[in-house]
Amino acid sequence: MKHASISVVALAFSTVLTAAPFAVQAQDKVVRVGVLMPISGPGSYFGVMGKEGIDLALEQVAKANLNGYRLQVQYEDSACSPLQATNTVKRVLDQFKPHIVVGEECSDASLAIAPILEQAKVVQLNAGSVTMKLTESGYKYVFRIFPNAEQQSLPLAKVAYEKLGARTAVILHEKTNAGIDNAEGFEKPFVAMGGKVLAKIDFGRDVNDFTAIATRIASLGKVDVLPTFALEGQQVRLSQALAQAKVVKGGGGSGVQMGSIWLPWGYDTKAGPAAIGYVRIVQFDPTENRKIVQDFIKAYRAKYGADKTPTHINAHAYDTILLIAEAVRRGAKDSESIREQFSKLKDFEVTTGRITFDAKGQNSDLSVVHFVETQKDLSWKGLDWR
Amino acid sequence: MTRRHAAIAVAILAIAAAPWILATPYWRGILVLCAMNVLLALSLNLVMGYTGQLNLGQSAFFAIGAYVSTVLIKSHGWNFWLAGLVAVIAAGVLGLALAAFAARLRGHYLAIASLGFAVITYQVLLNWEDVTQGVRGIYGILPPVSGTTALFYLVAGVAAAVYLLLDNLVRSPVGDTLRAIREDEVSAASLGINRAAWKAFAFGLGAAIAGLAGIFYPGLVGTLVPDAFGIVESFTMMAMVIVGGMGTMIGPVIGAIVLTFLPEVLRGFGELRLMIYGLALTLVVLFMPGGIAQAWTAVRARARR
Amino acid sequence: MPDLLALVVQQSVNGVYLGCLYVMVALGLTLIYGVLNQINFAHADFVTVGAFAAFFVATRFATRMLGLPDTGGYLLSLVAALGAGAVLGVLVNAAVFAPLRRRGSDELRPLIATIGVSVLLENGQLALFGPIPYQFDSPLARETIRLGPIFFSAQSVLVVAVAVAAIAALYGFMRFTFLGKALRAVAQDRETAGLMGINPNLVIALTIVIASALAGVAGALLGPVVVLTPFTGASLIVKAFAIVIIGGFGNMEGTIIAGLAVGIIEAFTVQYLGSGLIDLVVFAMLLTMLVVRPTGLIAERKEENV
Repeated sequence: MKHASISVVALAFSTVLTAAPFAVQAQDKVVRVGVLMPISGPGSYFGVMGKEGIDLALEQVAKANLNGYRLQVQYEDSACSPLQATNTVKRVLDQFKPHIVVGEECSDASLAIAPILEQAKVVQLNAGSVTMKLTESGYKYVFRIFPNAEQQSLPLAKVAYEKLGARTAVILHEKTNAGIDNAEGFEKPFVAMGGKVLAKIDFGRDVNDFTAIATRIASLGKVDVLPTFALEGQQVRLSQALAQAKVVKGGGGSGVQMGSIWLPWGYDTKAGPAAIGYVRIVQFDPTENRKIVQDFIKAYRAKYGADKTPTHINAHAYDTILLIAEAVRRGAKDSESIREQFSKLKDFEVTTGRITFDAKGQNSDLSVVHFVETQKDLSWKGLDWR
Repeated sequence: MTRRHAAIAVAILAIAAAPWILATPYWRGILVLCAMNVLLALSLNLVMGYTGQLNLGQSAFFAIGAYVSTVLIKSHGWNFWLAGLVAVIAAGVLGLALAAFAARLRGHYLAIASLGFAVITYQVLLNWEDVTQGVRGIYGILPPVSGTTALFYLVAGVAAAVYLLLDNLVRSPVGDTLRAIREDEVSAASLGINRAAWKAFAFGLGAAIAGLAGIFYPGLVGTLVPDAFGIVESFTMMAMVIVGGMGTMIGPVIGAIVLTFLPEVLRGFGELRLMIYGLALTLVVLFMPGGIAQAWTAVRARARR
Repeated sequence: MPDLLALVVQQSVNGVYLGCLYVMVALGLTLIYGVLNQINFAHADFVTVGAFAAFFVATRFATRMLGLPDTGGYLLSLVAALGAGAVLGVLVNAAVFAPLRRRGSDELRPLIATIGVSVLLENGQLALFGPIPYQFDSPLARETIRLGPIFFSAQSVLVVAVAVAAIAALYGFMRFTFLGKALRAVAQDRETAGLMGINPNLVIALTIVIASALAGVAGALLGPVVVLTPFTGASLIVKAFAIVIIGGFGNMEGTIIAGLAVGIIEAFTVQYLGSGLIDLVVFAMLLTMLVVRPTGLIAERKEENV
């Protein structure tokens, strides 16, 4: 009976695993928000900052009157991976029964959960993915407040060609959905305007040393702009290598490195003098004078430390909660009504600008998006190109 | 009714009851994953446990099963079963080819050749964008049967069938031959056993079974990206075999069940989850060197005395 | 064509520097395998621990508390990282390798047990340090030396120097000290070494401590040039394995040559083929190697039992 008894044990083991689900609270005036963030693995880079923003917003929203409702949040670790994200989104749907799900940060994981949420008729509010596919696939329940690849790359290409007078470019991007979409979003309009792309250089997220890449770029002749789509850590090393190879202004060269909205505040001081002359497109700008931005920074510092400055990841996550609270204040109480309120929203002010969703669920208001150039003292100088 | 029949009956009951005990879409999804992991652990155990070949690249065959079937279905409009069959054969043939090559190598060299094969397979998935879509991934993949419960019955049924097949195989003279090779290659050779051919056979069969597990993966997740098949996957499979008990039939099954459910059960621990998982893995290897299966037998033997 | 020549020289310089970093990471792995026939999967995470130890010593302790200048602080942090690695070596030997060896375990169980250690270390560091990349600037990393058209950082000079010194020290130790000779004896034949009055347990413990200390130093060298997060080491482990194999598992000379070769090939792959293909090229090289010369670059001392 050896095998049989072992199977019985295995079965017993698995029944024990029907672990007590989260008690869904009986209290009726609650809007439940499931938050899927990468909390383990390298993707936790986003999750940690996202959670900070959401926690802060929740504290503030709790004080406001939301039509008698309150927001209840459940975090889950979706690890930036499609398998983990589909597992956890099912778990959240089963056990927490959310009216809306915020997440994921990584494009692959966001795309993986979209059909599941669509089928469950639960709104997905995305604040970190750039892949075009998310809002181009016809999902009715997807809303995104993060600018997509085209919204970021097209202005970059225009500014490169028209304002910086660039005719040659080397595109650098990480080999991810986001990096590829951004790179293509730059290449097409830049080439159409008459620019020339000398090379498109991609790299995995595990690449650590960029000296060889910088050397190669230096051997390609005169490069006017280097649009770069990578995360902060790799960007810092990449800029330093490019400066060392005298490709960019920060190292005495003539090339201008250009970056996207993904690059958070703080990159410039981390990269040091290599960052001088870097031109980038920003949406959340801590130096912006709007009251909501300055209030957010004050509250963030009070909660997380006076020496810290929030990044766009903090800000986008913070904004998701403001947005949900606004929908609830206007009368939303379940998934359907949240969707309705989101669709009707016009010019709603948040820290990352104003929000008006288009028919596909993409925020179409880019009025605060602008360009900044890194100065010699590593501060930002606003450029009035929009 | 023999013990064996009783065991089979209990196993069938357990499989039949599982999706009704764990009756939510989430747990049913985990059950499918579990059945898939059982297949993978069985396949690896055949190679490592029964022929003593160290294989660190099993994730490659899992990936080949998943990608070949999905590409045939999505890009060429094939039917799932036909595409699945071709995918399993492809994984098996590649396994045979690697094994024929590996016949010259032993121990860690084979381990590394297989690890190298897995990394290259991963790189091909990443870079052969015309076919695999690379990091962009393939989306909107439907499972071969509708409903997670049906998918679980399908995969668990396949896993049970493979278990019985392998169980019969290791009890047959073929099993004796394989063990003879594992225990002592030189004397096995002197008995007139063609080592290379038998090792390649086991390796190829293991690869085909891993490919079989792979054809069900895309339907479960709906999304296929190369990252799902990194080398870490190979190590997870190996951990299932070791934790359960290598070289026994039931061991890998237990290992797969435990290591599929453990991370999910630990979700309540938040950030500590993976730390506990890592610690548990180390402690099991340290204190149950023969795996859970052997520890269980020992406990029972002591209880009888 | 002097431009082309300069380019080839420059990429070779880049490659040698990168190769020395790889050698520093791979040496410990190969040392443990040479003596124990076992693999420490957590080796790369020891590198990460070394990098963080160096970071805190260099940027907090040495400069702020001892008032050392930046460069002095960084050099002191190399020693701290060496110590941190050695401590980890003592711990992993006491907790994993020694108990398993006492039970006469095969080579597979230490591998799996150290996978657990690796998961534990990575996630423990994630809980402690968070996932946001640390800004670890050694003053040497920002100093660029230019010889005509060729450039390299002062940090890369240090990397090459430390790698050469580590290799020389290891050789000197193996050849000229009693413990070193004992270590070689155990690697060749554990039982006979035991009969000759060498305590294999002590020698094995020493091996693991030396290997881990090397990993710690590697971390301190990598910290200021890579993206420093709890996952830094993990991004290197696969390549480190490839280097150890290409060099012939357990063979020090082979590992050194293979590490340099991989670094140089990587630089030229970036130049002529594309940076996305680095791993593909390295592992294709590995498989070719296994087909053509299964014993690794340099023929092994021990005959394989085939």
